[in-house]
Amino acid sequence: MLTILILMPFLCALGVLLPVSKYFRLKLFGAVSLAHSLFVASFWKEFPPSEYHGFLVLDSLGLILLSIISFLFLSVSIFMIGYFKHELGRNRVFVTCLFLLLSMMTLVAVSYHFGLLWVAIEATTLFSAPLISFHRSQQSLQATWRYLLICSVGIALALMGTFFLAIAAHDVHTLLLPALLKGAPLLSVNWLKLSIIFFIVGYGCKMGLAPTHSWKPEAYGQAPGMVAVLMAGALTQCSFLALLRIAQICNKTGLTDFFSSILILSGVLSLIVPAMFILGERNIKRAFAYSSIEHMGLLVLGLGLGTVGLFGALFHMINNALAKVVMFLTAGSLAQKYGSASADEIRGVIHIYPLTGVFLIAALLAGTGMFPFATFHSELLILNAAIISKHYLMAAVGVVCLGLMFIGIGKIILNVIHGQPKEPLLAKKENIYMNVAIAMAGILLISIGLWMPSPLEKLLHNAAALIVSV
Amino acid sequence: MTSWVDVICIVIVFLSLIILSNHRVAAMIGVFALQSFVLGLLPFFLHASSISSRDIMIGLVTMILKAALVPYILFWAIRHVSMRSEIKPIIGFGASIIFGAIVIAGAFWVSLSLKIPGQPASDLVLPCSLSTVLLGFMIMVTRTRAVTQVLGYLILENGIFLFAISLFDVMPVLIEMGILLDIFVAVFIMAIVVNHINEEFEKNTASVVQSNMGETF
Repeated sequence: MLTILILMPFLCALGVLLPVSKYFRLKLFGAVSLAHSLFVASFWKEFPPSEYHGFLVLDSLGLILLSIISFLFLSVSIFMIGYFKHELGRNRVFVTCLFLLLSMMTLVAVSYHFGLLWVAIEATTLFSAPLISFHRSQQSLQATWRYLLICSVGIALALMGTFFLAIAAHDVHTLLLPALLKGAPLLSVNWLKLSIIFFIVGYGCKMGLAPTHSWKPEAYGQAPGMVAVLMAGALTQCSFLALLRIAQICNKTGLTDFFSSILILSGVLSLIVPAMFILGERNIKRAFAYSSIEHMGLLVLGLGLGTVGLFGALFHMINNALAKVVMFLTAGSLAQKYGSASADEIRGVIHIYPLTGVFLIAALLAGTGMFPFATFHSELLILNAAIISKHYLMAAVGVVCLGLMFIGIGKIILNVIHGQPKEPLLAKKENIYMNVAIAMAGILLISIGLWMPSPLEKLLHNAAALIVSV
Repeated sequence: MTSWVDVICIVIVFLSLIILSNHRVAAMIGVFALQSFVLGLLPFFLHASSISSRDIMIGLVTMILKAALVPYILFWAIRHVSMRSEIKPIIGFGASIIFGAIVIAGAFWVSLSLKIPGQPASDLVLPCSLSTVLLGFMIMVTRTRAVTQVLGYLILENGIFLFAISLFDVMPVLIEMGILLDIFVAVFIMAIVVNHINEEFEKNTASVVQSNMGETF
């Protein structure tokens, strides 16, 4: 089952390299995304058996990520049908890379061996890079370069961490997760600590945590909307899964405090830094990128804050992904309509494109964690965890930073919604496919904000139990 | 045959220093190819008494990918003449060497306090690989040309590999192959981006300063 799920998009990637029509590629991508999500939906009923001697296993943590990936690709594939109606360029490399990305992200979600996990995460970095410079210009190439270089170095450090982990596991003789958890008392603590530091720096770089976040505004600002969705919603969270796997080991070896203190530090930094930059920002996509840094900070903060925070972080993974769909797809459709994502160029959205205007307000509320969107609940859970664990100052800083974020993004979006457009526009009509893709995610986000279905709650509890099992 | 492992480790650090002090990109790629070749020799000397098929495979794949294909791709990426020499590095070449020496000393000092469990092939492996990683990192941050930054990344990877090859057999061969393949694809994609950057610069700055070609920031 799992092998099929990984190989299906991989083979399609080779297929669309052939000279076929542009629309055939899009249709195939839609069909494969749909098939992928049907497979994943069936996993909610029953987990598939493990494959290749326990190298590929799907557990509750993996299922959360896999569902996110699947949903994101589905909505992006719907959005792309509308997007490429107005896009004249070729899409061969673009769709090929998307297929490869889907294949490798699936591998991340199901790999149970730290080496394999690294290989898959590195591959996701590589295949997402060509997507950023889809509109080839100097700025986008520069953004691609910065992304490639910073993330490659980050990932190289994570490889170093993997090897340090292998030294720590000298007596266990394998890097398979269950064996490591079982042989936890045999691990050498000093090497494990060293490997934890390298893992957090390396995978944190890929997540875009604060000191190494500088590729994010560039890359998300230049990438087409749907690529930014996949990167902010799925790619960064793939690295978060790697951190969750390490949290499992830390918990077994009694290093949770050490691990948590680093996570809390980088989490708080990732809250403060974007809040400092957001107020001067004039580009919608870049502003959303800063918001993405903030959300990544919340994720690691939640992971560092113990049981309540962990539940919040896992819930936030889902909400963050859905919110990113609303935010970046709306920004992407606006950028296509106006030919730029700068707030100085876009004016009067609510008058010309009423539905997109509504989505833009939804993006503001979802992205900044306002009721009734589910991001509100998960952010509240994480802040609550900070208060429960008596980190009052941190909770206060968090609230202030989230407030600044709201002001910063709100300022841009309210500016854009009102006013009179400067020039006549390219595409007069709204596109149904684009709107369906955005609305789907928005409605889902509101509904889990109002009422959490019991299978989801059970999945989240099971996943949290994998990490903080007593 | 510990002594040969020692020699290889030291040669690898020296070659990184040579790359650090060089200003011709083509020469840098050549030295990198040599370094990768030496790295590829390492598995053959590790278990001197019994060379396993695993060692042979990893050695050969390292040589083919890193000492032949990667340099070939890099030469393809810099086929424009104006790309061939590194100009105005952030730190001068003389100062780079001094910093490089400090970095190496630091790496040796740090690895004094780290003890590898089991029987390591040589005491020099850890300090030498750390030095190579740091030197690669230095090349990445002090050079402005895209292609030189790729070289820095590759040297960093060589350092990590020096460490990986000589220390243990925990990784299944297939996954090690996956790691090598990933790095190869990384260089491939980087070379394509370098190429696109050059093309964009040629299109847009035909009359403006040509010497900025291939610079990233």
